[in-house]
Amino acid sequence: MVLTADADETVLAAARREGAGLPFGCRTGACATCTGRVLDGDLEHVRPPRGLKARHLEDGYALLCIAEPRSDCRIEVGAAVANDLVSNPWK
Amino acid sequence: MSDSESPDHCDHGHDHEGPGYATPQAAIEEAERERTAYVMGIYTGTGVDAPDFVGVVDLDPESDTYGEVVNRVEMPNVGDELHHFGWNACSSSCHVDGLERRHLVVPGQRSSRIHVLDTKDRRDPEITTVIEPEEVFEHDLSAPHTVHCIPDGQILVSMLGDADGELPGGFLELDENFEVDGRWDPPGEIEMNYDYWYQPRHNVMVSTEWAAPETYYPGFDLEDVEAGKYGRKIHFWDWAEGTVEQTIDLGEEGQIPLEVRFLHTPEAAHGYVGTALSSNVFHFSKDGGDGDGAWSAEKVIDVEAREHDDWDMPVPGLVTDLLVSMDDRYLFFSNWLHGDVRMYDVSDPANPRLADRIWAGGTFGPSHPTGEDDREVVGGPQMLQLSLDGERLYWTTSLFSSWDDQFYPEEAEKGSVMLKADVNPRKGTMELDEDFLVDFGDLPDGPARAHEIRWPDGDCTSDVWQ
Repeated sequence: MVLTADADETVLAAARREGAGLPFGCRTGACATCTGRVLDGDLEHVRPPRGLKARHLEDGYALLCIAEPRSDCRIEVGAAVANDLVSNPWK
Repeated sequence: MSDSESPDHCDHGHDHEGPGYATPQAAIEEAERERTAYVMGIYTGTGVDAPDFVGVVDLDPESDTYGEVVNRVEMPNVGDELHHFGWNACSSSCHVDGLERRHLVVPGQRSSRIHVLDTKDRRDPEITTVIEPEEVFEHDLSAPHTVHCIPDGQILVSMLGDADGELPGGFLELDENFEVDGRWDPPGEIEMNYDYWYQPRHNVMVSTEWAAPETYYPGFDLEDVEAGKYGRKIHFWDWAEGTVEQTIDLGEEGQIPLEVRFLHTPEAAHGYVGTALSSNVFHFSKDGGDGDGAWSAEKVIDVEAREHDDWDMPVPGLVTDLLVSMDDRYLFFSNWLHGDVRMYDVSDPANPRLADRIWAGGTFGPSHPTGEDDREVVGGPQMLQLSLDGERLYWTTSLFSSWDDQFYPEEAEKGSVMLKADVNPRKGTMELDEDFLVDFGDLPDGPARAHEIRWPDGDCTSDVWQ
């Protein structure tokens, strides 16, 4: 779906305003429930993305509760994206 | 301090006027059979865009809806990840006239939002108060976990992080009107936090450690273990002063100490903590072994990891919940990854004896424990609750959404179950009730994760006595 974010509006806030059901939790950048993967475009975290490790940021993951678009973006979203952050470490 | 010198209980008198029961034995004798359970239902990580709920489960065997979720109290917001909850009052306030065990305090682990439910109508509770996250963050705390009433009407909530989801955690105190009183502990007493329990006659509280919310929220990462980001200490507090008097490092065998329980007998100075990652149970006591009345802790149960063809490394049991029966005779705990729930005789508290165990789901247990025609159990035994008379043990299968998705990803699609075993306390045996399965996979908004269980009349994981 296509969302239009206002200036200084996070992706999550825009999604909520337009009634799109993005998952979220803490809304402070700690829990990573709202994780999306940026396929194209530029997102800026306006608070430290504590729920993501360096490897996740390098892989293009972003926390949509604290990320504001700085250009047109294409973002993969949903619970499955957050689940990809970690896997069973023993299996 | 000896028992005879302990504060408060001498003037306590035990004229039973308030909520709960005068003694643990009174709870066993006077309580009716549990006919209603409150069970957390969670949608985080399932892809279902719906608020979490407190499920009302019918446990009345005479009812046409026995074993069903007969009502759901939906939260006002999505994304809370309801986890643990507690009563506004318990038997520790049994001397307080006019106080009722009536309100459930229901925090959101991820949102830091705290809800209060009025359960005057047991089958149809309603939300009366919501404390928004910003009110919690004002006290530089987040991630509420364990809720205990504390004597005289206040409520104490363990908080696992600061306002940013980093360390340190602490404790938030609510007053009898469910308004935030402030931070209970002087900041800096502990770094990590998780569960706690108190034993007033010994003027002691014990607290445990998980990790910073920013560490455990996204999922379990061995990199974080290697970096020392997970806890392995337990803290003994001066209950009256709110300060830590003693910390015990449980070491490599005590990694991630989660649920902690004192024996119910108010004179007892014995308790247990399950260490999830190390898959052990520690017994702690004020044994006076060194003559100064200090607390000590010793590993008393070791769950050995097991090989599995599909796993690269041996599978740890992951002791995620434990409880002590109201008569202090048995310890039950769950091995969430293995798939068994165990029953130990703890009549000699420092020397638990395995009495019985049940396999249901998990990595090694039967995937259809209640019968091949019944729905599949896709998680392992997790949160436990025992009837006050010690004859019925119930459990659910969800641990924490992001951790569930790592180890039992099918649970997000199929939902949790609530199972039950019939316990014979006289013989020390358990038997799975194959006629009982509460299906949280079949709900109007979609499959839900089921977590902690509470009874309206108090239970084995919330009642404390003075």
